Amino acid sequence: MTSLVRSFGPSLTAAILLLTGFWIVGMIVAPQLIMVEKSFWYLDRGGDAGALTVRIDGLYNAVDLLGFDKLDAEALEPSAERDLKLDDIGRQVAATKAEIAELETREIKPRKVYSFTNYTLISAAHFAIFVKTILAALAVTLIAFIVCYPIAYTVAKLAPPGKAAIIMLGLIVPYAINELLRIFSWLMILNTNGVVNTLLAFMGLEPVAFLESGSGVFIAMVYAYVLFMVFPIYNTVETLDVAQIEAARDLGAPMWKIHWRVILPHAKPGIAVGAIMTFMLSVGSYSVPYIMTRGIAAPWFTQLIYNRFFESNNWNAGAAYAFTLLITCTLFIFLLMRIFRVGIKDIAR
Amino acid sequence: MSHVSPAIRGRASQTVLNLYLAFFFLYMFMPLILMVLAGFNDFSPPSITVWKGLTFRWFGELATDTRMWTGLLNSIVIASLVIVIALPLGLAGAFLVTRLQSRFNGLIYGVMVSPLLTPGIILGISTLVFWRDLGVSGGLFTAAMAQATFIASYAMLMFMARLQRQDVTLEEAAMDLGATHARAFRRITIPFLRPTILTAGVIAFLQSFENYNTTIFSIGGSHTLVTEIGSRMRFGLSPSINVIGMIFIVLTIVFAAIYVHFREREKRRAAAVLR
Repeated sequence: MTSLVRSFGPSLTAAILLLTGFWIVGMIVAPQLIMVEKSFWYLDRGGDAGALTVRIDGLYNAVDLLGFDKLDAEALEPSAERDLKLDDIGRQVAATKAEIAELETREIKPRKVYSFTNYTLISAAHFAIFVKTILAALAVTLIAFIVCYPIAYTVAKLAPPGKAAIIMLGLIVPYAINELLRIFSWLMILNTNGVVNTLLAFMGLEPVAFLESGSGVFIAMVYAYVLFMVFPIYNTVETLDVAQIEAARDLGAPMWKIHWRVILPHAKPGIAVGAIMTFMLSVGSYSVPYIMTRGIAAPWFTQLIYNRFFESNNWNAGAAYAFTLLITCTLFIFLLMRIFRVGIKDIAR
Repeated sequence: MSHVSPAIRGRASQTVLNLYLAFFFLYMFMPLILMVLAGFNDFSPPSITVWKGLTFRWFGELATDTRMWTGLLNSIVIASLVIVIALPLGLAGAFLVTRLQSRFNGLIYGVMVSPLLTPGIILGISTLVFWRDLGVSGGLFTAAMAQATFIASYAMLMFMARLQRQDVTLEEAAMDLGATHARAFRRITIPFLRPTILTAGVIAFLQSFENYNTTIFSIGGSHTLVTEIGSRMRFGLSPSINVIGMIFIVLTIVFAAIYVHFREREKRRAAAVLR
């Protein structure tokens, strides 16, 4: 703290602490904690909430009917019998209204119950979707590494500067084009009358239902996130001294061994960053399944989260789904940091 | 020398590599080219396999699409908010991490970069949940807050990179000569950071403008240009989406060319300094 005050003086230090405090607490930590807390309780409406609503609606109908009875009674000639009838109707209305009020407080103020229900209620079908989403994201990550490593190495070490700049431009342009548009471009290629199926028909082959089977989601996902692997690997390979590669070669190492023993170890932090980014983007992608399933293929885990929140309006269950995803990503990050022996400072640079 | 001499590589492996690059770039650009072409096709839904002749009518359809225009306006409002929120946060974070000498530095740094490693939808939904509990429902403000959470991390990393090259003795000299902390900050630190403030502002704007996953989970009933494009891709597909794609691609190429140009110039300058 004294080091800060020495650099900036008391008032600037206060401003810095206030801003970072707001960011860390108010924007990063508190929202996550509140979401996690929400995932551990649910609202108990005393039995089936739906039945309660139906009962309340029924009682409102009864009140309306009594209103008609009252109108009928009022139309009668003034007599003792009429007064008696009106009294009776008035009592019934009051009783029904009291019951409505009581039921409604139960409906509005349900009991808050802490439990793991939101997690244990994840059905087998939803769990299968969760596993599918993780496996797909892992596969995207692996494919991205295999595709991107040669490219990153070429730009960083092989190509002469002019050519490297052009390849770089060729990488930056698709990388920077909006994610949705890149996904969308595959819709026209993979749909029923799309480019691929037209080519297949031309060759006399059966059409493939890419969108209906969900494979379209995977294909578009690889395309959308593959480039997130290139730049981190490029950044680390670029810092490698070429003399090391040449020395290894002069000592008689074959090319694959140079990669295995010299270049890959040097690129480790970049590979870790690329893998973390690619995995995180794929597993947490809402856009790709949203556009590519078109509601005809089975949903992905991110879509389940969205549906919990915005369609079935069950924010507690939604929070549990979201937290499950967050934990998965966090575990993956720690796992990779372990495997590649890199720290958080190497990862976010 | 920055690249391996050609003598090291055999001719055969060179050919294989060139072929690989050609395939890769075909894979990268073919879908985008097809998308642009379908924007000129007089056939809806967008297609390239059914060609009904050249047309420009999708441009006209897009120009009169009011939901797209309000979306564009909302996007600009959110992006401006994000710049105003994220840049000061990122700057404060960078000062804290570079100047604070504490054993919690690593932890603080870890927390401040964690939004970059968190799936966007989680940032979006947790921000929405948090502000709803405070009585603020989903809209442009919550979307801007959710985006600023991770865009501030980008800004912080950029400011940190710049601050690590700062000569702290300049500030100290100014204060030895009687300048107050505020004056030294205003006259030395801020001018030193100015180029980064500008770049971080541009990056923050673009990041916000392009964002889909975080925004769709935090914006409530409103929409931005990009979330509107997303829902059109699923419902009511029309080639005017391809026209938007075309516009985005042209803008991206222009920006990327400018970026690569500056990057190369910077590299040459650095090389010249070394010589």
